[in-house]
Amino acid sequence: MDFALVIQTALNGLANGALYAVIAAGFVLVYRATSVVNFAIAEFMLIGAYLTYTMSLFFPLLLAILLALPLAFLFGVLVERGFVRPLLGRNVVAVIMATIGLASTLDGTALILWGPDQKAMGAADVAQLPKEVPNLAFSLGGVFLSSKAVWSLLLALPLALLLVGGLKYSRYGVLLRAVSESETAALAMGINAPRVVAIAWGISAVMATVGGAFLAGAAGGGGPGHHLVLLGLIVFPVAILGGFDSVPGAVVAGLLIGLIEAFSQLYLESLLPGITQAIPFLIVLLVLLFRPYGLLGQHRIERV
Amino acid sequence: MAEINVENLKVVYRGVILALQGVSLRAGAGEAIALLGPNGAGKSTLVRALSGLLPQYDGRVLDGKIVVNGQEANHLPALKVAELGLTAILEGRPIFRYLTVLENLRAAAHKLTPQRQKEITDEIFTRFPRLYERRFEQGGYLSGGEQQMLLLGMALLTEPRILVVDEPSLGLSPKLTEEVMRVLNELRRDKGLTLVLVEQNARAAFAIVERVYVMEQGRVVFEGTAQEAQADADVMEFYLGGAVAGGFAEAKRYRRRKRWV
Ligand SMILES: Nc1ncnc2c1ncn2[C@@H]1O[C@H](COP(=O)(O)OP(=O)(O)OP(=O)(O)O)[C@@H](O)[C@H]1O
Ligand SMILES: [Mg+2]
Repeated sequence: MDFALVIQTALNGLANGALYAVIAAGFVLVYRATSVVNFAIAEFMLIGAYLTYTMSLFFPLLLAILLALPLAFLFGVLVERGFVRPLLGRNVVAVIMATIGLASTLDGTALILWGPDQKAMGAADVAQLPKEVPNLAFSLGGVFLSSKAVWSLLLALPLALLLVGGLKYSRYGVLLRAVSESETAALAMGINAPRVVAIAWGISAVMATVGGAFLAGAAGGGGPGHHLVLLGLIVFPVAILGGFDSVPGAVVAGLLIGLIEAFSQLYLESLLPGITQAIPFLIVLLVLLFRPYGLLGQHRIERV
Repeated sequence: MAEINVENLKVVYRGVILALQGVSLRAGAGEAIALLGPNGAGKSTLVRALSGLLPQYDGRVLDGKIVVNGQEANHLPALKVAELGLTAILEGRPIFRYLTVLENLRAAAHKLTPQRQKEITDEIFTRFPRLYERRFEQGGYLSGGEQQMLLLGMALLTEPRILVVDEPSLGLSPKLTEEVMRVLNELRRDKGLTLVLVEQNARAAFAIVERVYVMEQGRVVFEGTAQEAQADADVMEFYLGGAVAGGFAEAKRYRRRKRWV
């Protein structure tokens, strides 16, 4: 076995997995806060990637990503205010249908605003501005890592961990967990539950934007296009493997699925072409059969 | 000026179930009142109406007036009512079960500076050493009495002027009930709180309130001082099932009988 190749595959897997982790963590955050399964999460990524692209027409790419984040946050808050809040308290199916409808609406909107062709990040003629993020690709002892992978590891992974830590230790994290348990009890203590929930949607959109922009190739090569929506489907297996209501679970599961994909690509793809794309969903089947609470799903407190 | 003034309040759930049919009551600043009544009388509905939480239960004020701290509060949302200094401890010990004791306290202290939060938290732990011992435990694993103490602590962290407590003694042993009442009384005196205490355990409530309201089927059927209530044969018979014997179970049995005939 080629040791350097294994390391390289692992690092690449983790790099992709970090993006899955970021997106899924935001997705689970929303589920925790509102019990809403956001079927439009892939479109959140799409919109985020296009926002980044648009910003990259005017600013250097790294700055463009940063500038896209507040816009994404606003977008998440608006979706919550306009689409989700009016439906809260309705039956689950109504809310599910609504987020599916939202997904198509956003798909269409993106198509109208940005057109059907694939974009290239930082493509505009902004003279003198560095269009690319600094190239961090490196090669060491036979291990080669693309710039994109290094950036993912450098930005996405800390962001995912920040969310995990924030949820556990920050004041907002405590409030979010309180609201997720009982909105009524939170309101009785004067906690501004609607705001806590809106912020969760904003954060989720921010995470999806980072993931989306990077998956679309913000850190080298490519740009947003509609294939991103298909990539976004990976969120569901990741969230389910993580336990669906656990943000740390989503992060661990994201990294794990990234690793599994990378190694499957390396060792299995030649034997069973197409297996790599199927593997996350096979894992979901196994999880649902044998471990419905996933890796870190909440175990219920049973005493009354 | 009365801190809480309720006049002819009518409340419906789901647009059709009339749970309060014209309730009037008041509590002066710093006064403690008790609200008694059998199951389904509408006590918790009144608590929800006072704290602006009716919409959470698909209920609304149909008619009448609620004035809290000089402000009309009929249709104020819960957050606005909280800003008026009213904190409600709802029925059923609604702590956050998956949060630790410390996190529960932190959640309740969301408006305080870290400095003030620490001061009050220290005070809470001095009052309830048991909570300090269990501070890293999830709320759901505390005993009923501990949960009630935790809720009192959380309420303190909102720095209320008016505290509304719905059936704190439910499911607690007589000894613990006494303890909860003692603490409530202490807090109320130390902080100069206005207290609205909803109770089934009339005897325990009488010990710490000045005035008493008895509700039945969405109406107030008795109103008087704690002494008057204790002197009133009906009220006493109703609640204590006779002279002294009493106790929660017996009163309950009696009440059930009375409800069905
Ligand atoms: N969410 C709700 N929807 C519909 N009806 C309700 C709701 N909550 C309470 N009610 C009805 O309103 C009436 C008053 O209920 P409430 O809970 O206020 O009584 P209570 O005096 O607090 O009783 P208990 O001592 O059992 O707590 C009851 O008839 C009850 O069935
Ligand atoms: Mg009640």
